[in-house]
Amino acid sequence: MKPGAVTASALGLSRNESGRRFPHVEDGAVLEDLRAEVLDVLAGGQWDERWHVYDLEALSEVEVDHLVERGLMTPAFLDGEGEGRGFAVYGEGQASLEINGSDHVRVLGFRNGDQLESLWSLLNLLDDRLETVLSYAFDARWGYLLARARQAGSGMRAYATLLLPALMLTGRLAGVAVELVNQGLGMSPLWNGAGGVVQVSNIGPQGKPEAETLKQVSEVCAGIVEKERSVRKMLVRESLLQTRDQVGRALGVAQQAWSMSFLEAVNLISAIQAGRELGLVEGSGLSSESAFSLMTRLQPAHIVVDYMDGKIGCLESPEIDEKRARMMREIFADSGLRPQEKRDV
Amino acid sequence: MFAEEPPGWSFDLGSSVTCERCGEEPASVHLLRVVDGAVAHTHLCPGCAEGMAEETEGLALVLAVPSVLRHLARASSAEETPTAEPAAEHMEDFCETCGTTLSDLKESGLVGCADCYERFADYLDTLRVPGAEPVEHLGKIPHRGPETDNLRHEMLRLQRMLRELVACERFEEAAGVRDRLTELGQRLEQETG
Repeated sequence: MKPGAVTASALGLSRNESGRRFPHVEDGAVLEDLRAEVLDVLAGGQWDERWHVYDLEALSEVEVDHLVERGLMTPAFLDGEGEGRGFAVYGEGQASLEINGSDHVRVLGFRNGDQLESLWSLLNLLDDRLETVLSYAFDARWGYLLARARQAGSGMRAYATLLLPALMLTGRLAGVAVELVNQGLGMSPLWNGAGGVVQVSNIGPQGKPEAETLKQVSEVCAGIVEKERSVRKMLVRESLLQTRDQVGRALGVAQQAWSMSFLEAVNLISAIQAGRELGLVEGSGLSSESAFSLMTRLQPAHIVVDYMDGKIGCLESPEIDEKRARMMREIFADSGLRPQEKRDV
Repeated sequence: MFAEEPPGWSFDLGSSVTCERCGEEPASVHLLRVVDGAVAHTHLCPGCAEGMAEETEGLALVLAVPSVLRHLARASSAEETPTAEPAAEHMEDFCETCGTTLSDLKESGLVGCADCYERFADYLDTLRVPGAEPVEHLGKIPHRGPETDNLRHEMLRLQRMLRELVACERFEEAAGVRDRLTELGQRLEQETG
């Protein structure tokens, strides 16, 4: 696979304990017991890194959103409710654990770049260690038994994040999505579709060995990114004026705006990244991975926690938009649209 | 980070979805429109989706989310298991361990416990995508599981290998795998008494 095909990788591994009903039908007291047992395991000495356990009730809106923005917690767990819920982060954020979400436990990992295999190595190890204490619900035919029956099997969901602004703007993403479904994969927009940032994940039958699923996701994503690159080149070839105009406008706003929403920033970065890759923009290269990393840092909770010392208690604030615009101005200060005659596509 | 799974991202393949625009054709496409920063989700038939995407002034992203699968599964289950629904109507199946009923499962796609997999095995079998490989679980298995799980898992793996070897006409190696399968089958028989 060419470098930079997958912009970011995420993995989730769901398990249930045998002998207990699944969280949505189990008694609260039983779920509380399970949480206590799991937390005991996490406090043990068998781990290479320390688990940091969070009190979900005590977390502010900003702190919880920051966990979601870092890829440590799923939006589904954030929105869920019920008794016995728990959450912990491994080390500095190499992995995390949701307790009593849809299933009894779900180990998660998120990293920038094409890191699905290394994530699987780590999560597989953590899963083995959890299993020394928990007895997993498993059936030789169905695999690991989950609350969502269609996901029973490996219990693994692999998510590859891709930047596909050209496919999206030219309306070709629909065809790609349909092809994916035929292969047991699905596509979902990450930030309401802004910037053509999407996630591809395995949603089909889960019987395959994990390594095969990861290979399939990686290979399919490499093919999609190739299509994206072809369409970008086609846009320059067949609609040079409009493409230069779009990229130039994105640069202009990025360099001059004094207030900017997150989704606007994502759209602009995506356009500028495409422009740089096509040689339309002066300045050093901006890989899709770097662009995504920048988008990540511009999310509301990231700005509040990382750049405003968490002083603002809400995520909708003019100060956040102002800070984001300032960061964009600084980052893209020395970028410019390359003169047309020097363009080298 | 993880994308929010859009509304309608349900793994329940039993429910019926019709196009929200024409109300007649089955919805097989999920249209996500972003207009002035606002997001709208709609389940549509392919014809209406095409029309609506063209009419949208902002970004229009057609997502083939499992509503497509729902449609496909409904079509295939109608062909292959025509008696599944009438049987359920006579007597409501339920799991004695957790109280989940077949209707609950069909509506939510959720089972309540491990025993549900045995109780509703017939229905769960109908959800499998016809022709999908592999049908059996060939991934990781628990280290602490019974020895019989290991044996069954190894046999499933070898059965898949045997199919592939035969398909490639590597008959000599296939014979070796077949012998190993026979041996494991005998061991499994002894273990389970």
